[in-house]
Amino acid sequence: MTKGRPELAAANKKRPKRKNTAAAALLSLPLLAFALIFVAYPLVSGILTAFQAKTLLDPSAAFNGIDNFTALFKGPGFAKSAGFTVTYSAIVVTLEMILGFGLALLVNRKFPGKKAFFTMLLLPIMVAPALLGVMFRLLLNGDIGAVPALLHGMGMSVSLFAPDSVIPLLVVLDVLQWTPFTFLIIYAGLQSFPEELLEATAIDGAGYFRSLWSVVLPVLKPVLFAAFFLRAIDALRTFDVIYVLTAGGPGTSTTTLSIYIYKAAFESGDFGKAAAASLLVLVVLLPFVPFIVKRIASTGLEGKK
Amino acid sequence: MTTTFKTPPRLGDRVPKSQRKRWIFTGIVGVLAIFVNIPLFNAILVSFKPDGDIGKNPLGLPTNPTLDHYANVLYASGYDFPRFFANSAMIAVGTVLLVLCIAVPATYAIVRLRFGGRWILDSASALRLLPAIFFVVPFFILFTNMGLQDSILGLVIANTFLNLPLGIILLAAGLRDIPIEIEEAASVDGASVYRTLFSLVLPMLAPTVVAVAVLVFIFSWNDYLFALVLSTSNATPVTLGAANFVTSTGIRWGDISAASFLSTLPPLIFAVFAQRYLVSGLSAGAVKG
Repeated sequence: MTKGRPELAAANKKRPKRKNTAAAALLSLPLLAFALIFVAYPLVSGILTAFQAKTLLDPSAAFNGIDNFTALFKGPGFAKSAGFTVTYSAIVVTLEMILGFGLALLVNRKFPGKKAFFTMLLLPIMVAPALLGVMFRLLLNGDIGAVPALLHGMGMSVSLFAPDSVIPLLVVLDVLQWTPFTFLIIYAGLQSFPEELLEATAIDGAGYFRSLWSVVLPVLKPVLFAAFFLRAIDALRTFDVIYVLTAGGPGTSTTTLSIYIYKAAFESGDFGKAAAASLLVLVVLLPFVPFIVKRIASTGLEGKK
Repeated sequence: MTTTFKTPPRLGDRVPKSQRKRWIFTGIVGVLAIFVNIPLFNAILVSFKPDGDIGKNPLGLPTNPTLDHYANVLYASGYDFPRFFANSAMIAVGTVLLVLCIAVPATYAIVRLRFGGRWILDSASALRLLPAIFFVVPFFILFTNMGLQDSILGLVIANTFLNLPLGIILLAAGLRDIPIEIEEAASVDGASVYRTLFSLVLPMLAPTVVAVAVLVFIFSWNDYLFALVLSTSNATPVTLGAANFVTSTGIRWGDISAASFLSTLPPLIFAVFAQRYLVSGLSAGAVKG
């Protein structure tokens, strides 16, 4: 689908024809074997399971047509978790894009201590989301947490994990961890920006936001696009932090699609239903994939700064 | 970062004024850099507080710093933390090796020997965008049948599955940046494909290989979902072990914080000392396909 890419065409022209098919096949053998056993087979078996009455305790393969799908749509859980996942992703990704862009503009200049603070800004990306969930528990615990203590000291008593405050809380936590990621991608994009253009933008104080809008944003568009889609894809499959913190509760109010599927499979033991839900998610996402792959591949941003 | 940040001197700029202005940015960025790391710093502070202090003094610095929690986590019986840590290390190192062994030769064949074609790279990019949760149930069934359930090898394979696409994408991008002329010369001189790959291409590809190794190590160290599904006790890594600490040990917050900090340490060390590779890998991986 991307045959028309100029870069690839140029590479093809330069490349002499060689008769190394045997060597090439041998070198690719490990990949092909792995892909066959651990990608293609699970993919097919996952699709088949969606039409079977498989359970954790009874993995016999009786086909039951579209029963799993009707069960999904009859119960309230699937639709609710899909709604929550989409809303939650939309909010966090929007916030992370805006804040990451602002942060990248802020850091994109010379100032003392830049190197150290740059490193510090990247640390949240490295922390395992599950471990960050544990750390958040420590920070937010009603008895020993610093945040409730601080709020208490200010005369507020907020129960952070109560039904009406838990979603804003999770949004804040996601923004804390992943704004550094959008920041990093956008910052890397700014590095490949013609310096004179930025200089001109920076000097002209009055027109700063206008030149930001008309000069920086258009050039940065592919990079912003890449950051947006990578974050969106990740946000849509959020599992670790929320599962560690709330396990999808209170009730099912913070159940993401991933948590819903996990629970359907390993708490209710209904493999068929879980596979059916996974398949639906996959089918909904699939049309976007070639588009994203193409757009991301064509940004041409060099990451070697 | 190896980038140099050159700002040409501007007309009319007086040095003291611009210096002072720069310190303002140091202040703002510094505050933000600390703010995003509050959970981590809080965990570090709590881990040095004696048990009695933790509840009484949630906001302050530790008054009588103690290493007891670290001693508990590492030596006290019944915690199993050192085993979780060893499991994570084996899983992460194993995944790095397996990803490189599969991806380096295959990427060379795809990019340089034109094996398969563009669709392999495109499917690698596509696979990276699909939700991992789809593969959780099939992997569980497959691993149960293959006897890989709750084994280090099983988790190495699962993490290889998760990280192979990124490895292939980054290596393909790195390979395209290396001029092909040297390889052509070698092949004219009669060097075999294998010899060319291992003694000529691999050394030039080293920075990309290191970037892939660093990223794959961190991502497989940090995996939680597949560990939750595919391990029960023998192969439990730190992400799962530390999360279980919270429920299984109830109120031992000091030990929990020490365990979570220690578990985060290897990726953090990479973030500080291999930052160049990390930044290049993350940003190239983000935008190249």
